[in-house]
Amino acid sequence: MTSFHIVHLYPDLLNLYGDRGNIMVMEKRCRWRGIEAILHTVNGDDPLDLSTADFVLLGGGSDKEQAIVCETLMQFKDELARYIDHGGCLLAVCGGYQLLGTRYSSALGELNGLGLFEFETVAGKGGRCIGNVVIDTDLGFEVVGFENHGGLTYLHGQHPFGKIRYGYGNDGSGMDEGLHEKNCIATYIHGPLLPKNPKLADHFIATALKRKGELTPLKTLDDTMEEEAAKIMIKRCATEKKENPYISR
Amino acid sequence: MRLRSVFSIAMAKAIAFACRLLHKQGVTLAGAMVMKVDPGLFDHLSAQLKRTIVVCGTNGKTTTNNLMAMALRANGHQVVINATGSNMKNGIVSALVLNSKWNGQIQADTATLEVDEASLRHVIDHLHVTDMVLTNLFRDQLDRFGEIDITMDLLLQAVQNHPDIHLIFNSDDVLSTQFALKSKLSYTTFGISKPMHDTNNADMKEGQFCPYCHAKLEYDFYHYAQLGQFHCPNGDFNHFHIDVDLGSLDSIDPLVFTINDVTFHSPLKGFYNVYNHMAVCALLTHYGESLSKFADELPSFQGGFGRLETFHIHGCDILLNLAKNPAGFNQNIDLIANDGSTKDVLIVINDNEQDGIDVSWLWDVDFDRLNQCNVSHYLTAGKRYMDMALRLKYVDIPSTPFDDIHQAISYALHDLGSTKLYILVNYTALYPTSQYLHELERKSA
Repeated sequence: MTSFHIVHLYPDLLNLYGDRGNIMVMEKRCRWRGIEAILHTVNGDDPLDLSTADFVLLGGGSDKEQAIVCETLMQFKDELARYIDHGGCLLAVCGGYQLLGTRYSSALGELNGLGLFEFETVAGKGGRCIGNVVIDTDLGFEVVGFENHGGLTYLHGQHPFGKIRYGYGNDGSGMDEGLHEKNCIATYIHGPLLPKNPKLADHFIATALKRKGELTPLKTLDDTMEEEAAKIMIKRCATEKKENPYISR
Repeated sequence: MRLRSVFSIAMAKAIAFACRLLHKQGVTLAGAMVMKVDPGLFDHLSAQLKRTIVVCGTNGKTTTNNLMAMALRANGHQVVINATGSNMKNGIVSALVLNSKWNGQIQADTATLEVDEASLRHVIDHLHVTDMVLTNLFRDQLDRFGEIDITMDLLLQAVQNHPDIHLIFNSDDVLSTQFALKSKLSYTTFGISKPMHDTNNADMKEGQFCPYCHAKLEYDFYHYAQLGQFHCPNGDFNHFHIDVDLGSLDSIDPLVFTINDVTFHSPLKGFYNVYNHMAVCALLTHYGESLSKFADELPSFQGGFGRLETFHIHGCDILLNLAKNPAGFNQNIDLIANDGSTKDVLIVINDNEQDGIDVSWLWDVDFDRLNQCNVSHYLTAGKRYMDMALRLKYVDIPSTPFDDIHQAISYALHDLGSTKLYILVNYTALYPTSQYLHELERKSA
């Protein structure tokens, strides 16, 4: 049986917006296809070895807990960089996204990020970006979810994950959302992200399997409920558009 | 007495009366009118009270507040209360106004008021708060509050200029304990010093790290969520001494327990409700009042609407309960697990402003435990009916989603022929569901 190694980074600290839902979806969608999903939970003092990892999740946490994670992860910065460089699949959400950059600011002040990518997150002045989001991704499908961030992220030439159709996005301007470099996707979208976006979950599974040389196409699953849930929200966002103008800063 | 005040009191009573006739919630509307016409009336009324207790915290406010009123009345006090859970400024103003005479004299010596965590700072300067009861702090409405630390900060801001308030708090909760430390208020604690009830230990826990040295807190045991006997491995942050402890827990459904050798027979059920009674006992103990008088009255207690409300419709026993965040939801699942009979479950999730528009917390609830609860059918409804069905799919639970709550209830009663139905709803679904069930019950009687 094919095995699929899922690494959940610091779930004790980064668990603010139902992030474990992303893990449940990855596990189930592997198992429903007869792929053996093996979950590795990495906590505070554990060493980090991503040599066998197929998918890594770095979730979002409160400001205080995000800072603790950043400090811990700093010692494994090279390991993470190597993993991303070699095409490993990484999903970073909210706080996890901000950590990947060079700097981010929070209620605790300006902090150094891991610096895996040259981008920065500054404190927004006009309150938080909160609400439902719909984007058109560079993977050719739409993604729907929820954003809630005080920081505004400015990319420096990296590819965004998608274009905002409804919502605020990286810098609150309603233009770009997230970051997509190699097989690393970083985004402000939670909800959690993967349940209503099964195509994205499957993209990670297919990419990771290909990376380890398993070229069998993924078995099709019945996603009627997933698609229906996403469709309801996309329809709602389309009609609510006028009431929720993009903030200008 | 100023003419304007007489007029506001009359208007408030008329609005509340008219709304009652129409089966509409009129409490907040009446309060809003008073604040517009005669804002000084709020201070005038609150100043007449000898004792004002505010009840704050994420879960259990309404139940604790109603139990508090019963206990104080049993001890001979005349009590004014915002019983229905209208816990923002207008609801609080309204409670006082509706309990006053035409001449602006309040007909009570004591107020017990549940107050929304974000609203406390807007009302505290108008109330002469003597005691604050903090039930617990869990994650709730993250899109409104940001994160749980922000909720705590809002409460701290509210009490910072009121150092004379006496705090009653749950010392099994790390976050409430942090609040007690930071607020520097005098306090009485309640808690449970021994493991008393087998519960789910894998559920969502807040504040798992020492606020001082950031080490992971160690627990001797958990009661539920983060409530339990904790300590910092470096000794920087420890569980406080428990002033009011649980003697024994004899039954969960219905609740039977002892505190200070007094036996309580509560009509409520569920382990989480033990803490709500304990909060009341802690306040009584602080004032040297009688626990037995409270225990004597307790069997006749009627919970607030939608708090374990029961209905009997077409041969089906229906139990309606509020479940609006992971901690509350997990306790509801605990309740269902304790009921061995065959049942159906309907879950109603809305995402209106008051519910929190972000429903990602559904993934923090341990729905997989429902697989061991002897449930035949699952139904979902509310604005997020499909999200809820999807959540259940990922714990291998098939469900029937309905975009209309009336249809869902009708399907359970008529198509499934349910004999026992649990309806778990979040905040804005509560009132309409309760009203609808009352209507069905009247018709079927």
